Amino acid sequence: MSGTPKVQRWIDLLAALLAHRLPVTFDELAKSVPTYLADGSIAAGNPSPTLKRMFERDKVELRELGVPILSIGEEGSDESAYTLRTREFYLPYLGIVSGRGIEKPTTVDRYGYRSLETLAFEPDELEAIVQGARRVAQVGDPVLAEEARNAVRKLAFDLPLGATDGPGDALLVPPRKRADPKALATLGDALFRRKRISFSYHTIGSGSSADRTVEPYGLFFVSGHWYLAARDVEKDALRNFRVSRIDALKVNATKAGTPDYEIPRTFSLRTHAQSRQAWEIGDGDALEAVVEFTGDSGAVIAAAALGRPDSSSATLRRFTVRRTDSFARWLFSFAGDAMPVSPAALVNEYASLVERTRTIYAS
Amino acid sequence: MSDTASAQLKRVLHLIPRLADGEEHTLVDIAAKAETDPAELLRDLDSISDRFDDPGGFIEGVSVFVDGDTVCVNASHFHRPMRLTMPELCALELGLTMLRRERTPAEQAPIDRALERLRQTISRVPSNDRHEGTRYADLSDAGSAEHLQMLRRAIAGDRKVELRYRAGGATESTTRTVCAHSLAFAEQMWYLVATSDDGSLRFFRLDRIEAARALEETFERDASVGMRVQEAGRAFVSDTSKRMTIRYSPRIARWIAEREGQPLADDGSLTMEHPVADDSWAIRHVLQYGPDAEVLAPETLRAALADRLARLAG
Repeated sequence: MSGTPKVQRWIDLLAALLAHRLPVTFDELAKSVPTYLADGSIAAGNPSPTLKRMFERDKVELRELGVPILSIGEEGSDESAYTLRTREFYLPYLGIVSGRGIEKPTTVDRYGYRSLETLAFEPDELEAIVQGARRVAQVGDPVLAEEARNAVRKLAFDLPLGATDGPGDALLVPPRKRADPKALATLGDALFRRKRISFSYHTIGSGSSADRTVEPYGLFFVSGHWYLAARDVEKDALRNFRVSRIDALKVNATKAGTPDYEIPRTFSLRTHAQSRQAWEIGDGDALEAVVEFTGDSGAVIAAAALGRPDSSSATLRRFTVRRTDSFARWLFSFAGDAMPVSPAALVNEYASLVERTRTIYAS
Repeated sequence: MSDTASAQLKRVLHLIPRLADGEEHTLVDIAAKAETDPAELLRDLDSISDRFDDPGGFIEGVSVFVDGDTVCVNASHFHRPMRLTMPELCALELGLTMLRRERTPAEQAPIDRALERLRQTISRVPSNDRHEGTRYADLSDAGSAEHLQMLRRAIAGDRKVELRYRAGGATESTTRTVCAHSLAFAEQMWYLVATSDDGSLRFFRLDRIEAARALEETFERDASVGMRVQEAGRAFVSDTSKRMTIRYSPRIARWIAEREGQPLADDGSLTMEHPVADDSWAIRHVLQYGPDAEVLAPETLRAALADRLARLAG
């Protein structure tokens, strides 16, 4: 069988850090990590530059994996010392609140385990976590699904959590054209490292593809599709890209460890991505539209519910509209059961739609 | 960073606490608990036991003894799993955010509490900031959260439900009793997936359910229902033989082609058939595209549209 020496070294390093209550220098740590002893420079009392570089890389990579190694003193200097606090590394004891109080897991009464706190979950919180993990498993991003699965595995060390692979109480039916999982993984990595990316994007409105260079700000899953929110470098504007229409994706490979950009502090992905109706999305000024709903079919009642009441009549509903063309087409689909009352621009748009469509069936 | 090494470390840190009690465990049992296969389990154990005979320094590390199909591990410093990482928290947060939108205010409370507690379990490293706020998920409004709550309970208990429902084209509500199998989100909308007494599959848009009540009567769950929905790829499975043929103009055909997985014609248009279970649905479907969608057949539907448009123009 072939092993991975790096994992062995990392485990040894973690054990060495966890064994020391107080910060220790690299020279001291190295004595407990066999790989670090291999070139003999530690025994000679003068750690080699190669060995120091290896340790620096190990620290960076372990921190990226979430291991909170703390440096005391100037990072990387001979005098700096390192510590991994048990309370900050080990999962707290996880208990369950029950009618009899808090049911705690079996504790380990030695080493640093005694200092761990107990965090108690209520049964309905556990149910929410399992259902949440099931939702994540269905959104089509294997990296996210694996992260959620890892989290649940850790929690399940103490807690009775069920399987998270099934759909649970809701099934997310994927669209026919799904985002490529590899593209999602690449975008996620570029986003984390704040690296510029370039790709060919198929703009469905024009039916053509064009090369784009963008700075990723976030990935969001709305209405069953994954989108990338990013600043288009050439246009200097924030744009959304449906991930399933991205092709030939490349990440800027220069200075891999250095971010190419920062996401503005004012940017909120949650606000940016909040579900909106098609007519609410656009660069135009917002108009207040009034619509009269006269039909009583299920479709019309559900549509009317999307608007706000108008004090003058129970049949009138008000909408905030940025794209009159899109809104007019939506109203048109109700075939006269939802008629625009104002503004005039919307009424005219609707009338034009009726006339142009009527022409088709005139012959 | 080597993905293999990092992925392996995650697995090893997950594995050791389950084994590190000095007792013998069978590989098959542990592989099942770790949701891996025995071969990968052995590879992971091998990766941390290569230098078992090397000088161990002053710190008690990890010792692994594999004997046939059993394994025994001593690892004083790995009796507990590592805290959750920020990417793990963010993944769960994404799921909980989606869940929150579907729940009543009372049901949102445990979701918020769970998230708050999960935040207390994460490890704090400087790179956490680079993960936070970079993912978001939101399906859409799900209709009445109270109806959803009741339907979830009925689904969990395999109970039949009584629905007062107003179909898209119906001007009056009807009351029906169905077996509630699951909730489904498809094509930007939430549905109840149910079967009627004759076993036929039915979809009910949640925003058109006017009232819902769980009955005491239970039903036997049919595992194939979920499969049928997945295969259909949409919330519409119909055995109707009625069809309409629509030509979508080149201006909009690309969107329809992408959604339906159909090829475009040479002129960029798309002509395709749709099953029609309900004429009013057919009219709504066509009119939403205005002059960019034309019904080619059947003639009766063309005539109905022409009549409706004449009245609108009048």
